[in-house]
Amino acid sequence: MSERIDPVTGEPASISYVNVHKSFGTQHVLRGLNLAIPRGKITVIIGRSGTGKSVTIKHVMGLLRPDKGEIWVGNDNLATMRDRDLRTVRNRFGVVFQDAALFDSMNVLDNVAFPLREHSRLRDREVVAKVRGLLAQVGLAGAELKLPSQLSGGMRKRAGLARALVRDPEFVLYDEPTTGLDPILTAAMDKLIVDTQESRPGITSVVISHDMHAVLGIADKIAMLVDGVVAHEGTPEYFKNSKDPLVHQFLTGSLDGPMKV
Amino acid sequence: MIVRAIEAIGRMFVEPMEELGRVTHIGGRGLLNLFIPPIRIRHTIAQLEFIGVQSLPIIILTSFFTGGVFTLQSFKAFQLFGAQGLVGGTVGVALTRELAPTLTGLLVAGRAGSAMAAEIGAMRVSEQIDALDAMAIDPINYLVKPRIIAATLAAPLLTAVFDLIGIFGSYVVAIYTLRMSYPDFMIRLDDWVDWDDIWGGLFKAAVFGLIIGVVACYKGFYTKGGAVGVGKSTTSSVVVSSVMILVSNYFIARYILP
Repeated sequence: MSERIDPVTGEPASISYVNVHKSFGTQHVLRGLNLAIPRGKITVIIGRSGTGKSVTIKHVMGLLRPDKGEIWVGNDNLATMRDRDLRTVRNRFGVVFQDAALFDSMNVLDNVAFPLREHSRLRDREVVAKVRGLLAQVGLAGAELKLPSQLSGGMRKRAGLARALVRDPEFVLYDEPTTGLDPILTAAMDKLIVDTQESRPGITSVVISHDMHAVLGIADKIAMLVDGVVAHEGTPEYFKNSKDPLVHQFLTGSLDGPMKV
Repeated sequence: MIVRAIEAIGRMFVEPMEELGRVTHIGGRGLLNLFIPPIRIRHTIAQLEFIGVQSLPIIILTSFFTGGVFTLQSFKAFQLFGAQGLVGGTVGVALTRELAPTLTGLLVAGRAGSAMAAEIGAMRVSEQIDALDAMAIDPINYLVKPRIIAATLAAPLLTAVFDLIGIFGSYVVAIYTLRMSYPDFMIRLDDWVDWDDIWGGLFKAAVFGLIIGVVACYKGFYTKGGAVGVGKSTTSSVVVSSVMILVSNYFIARYILP
């Protein structure tokens, strides 16, 4: 496929959704999604609950397959790939899950070390050194031996971020990284996302979020999903200045507007 | 009208067929993964410890008293026509061929199968299985394979313990409670119980272990709907594997080990 250019940032698209459809039973969630994720930037996907945001990022990891359409990561079309090849593509991703999805049976250090121990030939001493460094970066120095059940929500998400970064991925996907956090922890997490992006030039971040304040602060590009398609996309400036009733209602969290509860 | 009737009949079969497909998928891929690295020896040993070693107390207790009560009851019956000497042999054959594998299977399904289904189910609803997938780690290889292997190996080992302790329980009751003589108890036991009976029982137990492993992993793996879903999977794993153990026991006894 010829390289697509993201119209918002002018950067080449490292991930492209082309007319993607996905249904679960009678529920048609993605209805012809077209979206370009620019390389080396932070793209934030916003939208009401149930509009297909999580489904959108699960497709790019190959956790879900589209019923129709194409999903390009570089030169690979995930829609037609075999499972075995999908696993190779997944090696390029780090994912921060909504509730961190840490393994309950392992402490923080083992959780973060897990992908390295599974996939790399590094000696354990090197693995541990790398993990300790990453934990320090995300503000979890000293929490190595704690179990996930002993961590607060914010700490779990940071541990999840450390685990996502441990293999130096090209792409980092964040599924609602600030949901359930207090405003200060939310700000800390947002800063962590921006710091991660700045300290690793070239990585591409995709964030799913409801938190409009943070979205406007961290995003290079924002895509707004409505009913399974991208209804609006643009820079934070575009969204701030938009007179569109949909955008305005979402930004202000108003009950009055085209979107009904 | 006719079309609707055909559709209704079709729908009745679709769900069970889908379920059968998913069970076969999990079991088949779990077994196929035996030959796909990584082998996961450490995980398998941990599961063996959980399913096998940690089930030992309940197996020892159950087998001792099963052997004991079976001796007590059969002694009463045999006494009616003065054939008390048959007690040892009868208990030995019944234990090694039927009681030990079946009761071990049911106990393991209740203790370890339920825990496996609950653990994997909780991992599913908290996205830990998605996380494995996202980290390019095959959850079948990582979670399912070690459990299926461990259950298939642990069940016959536990059955062997059941055989031993069950006969010991029978011996204790026969000698110390019923005041039978040692030769009376031992002669028929020695005569009637063949190695074939013991191996047959262990083979059955391996089949039951496989059933427990596959059903528990399948139920856990396809859990939906939060804590309620985990509860349903756990219950259903015990019910389905118990019924499958009892039904397959009949067919093995009838056609494979007559």
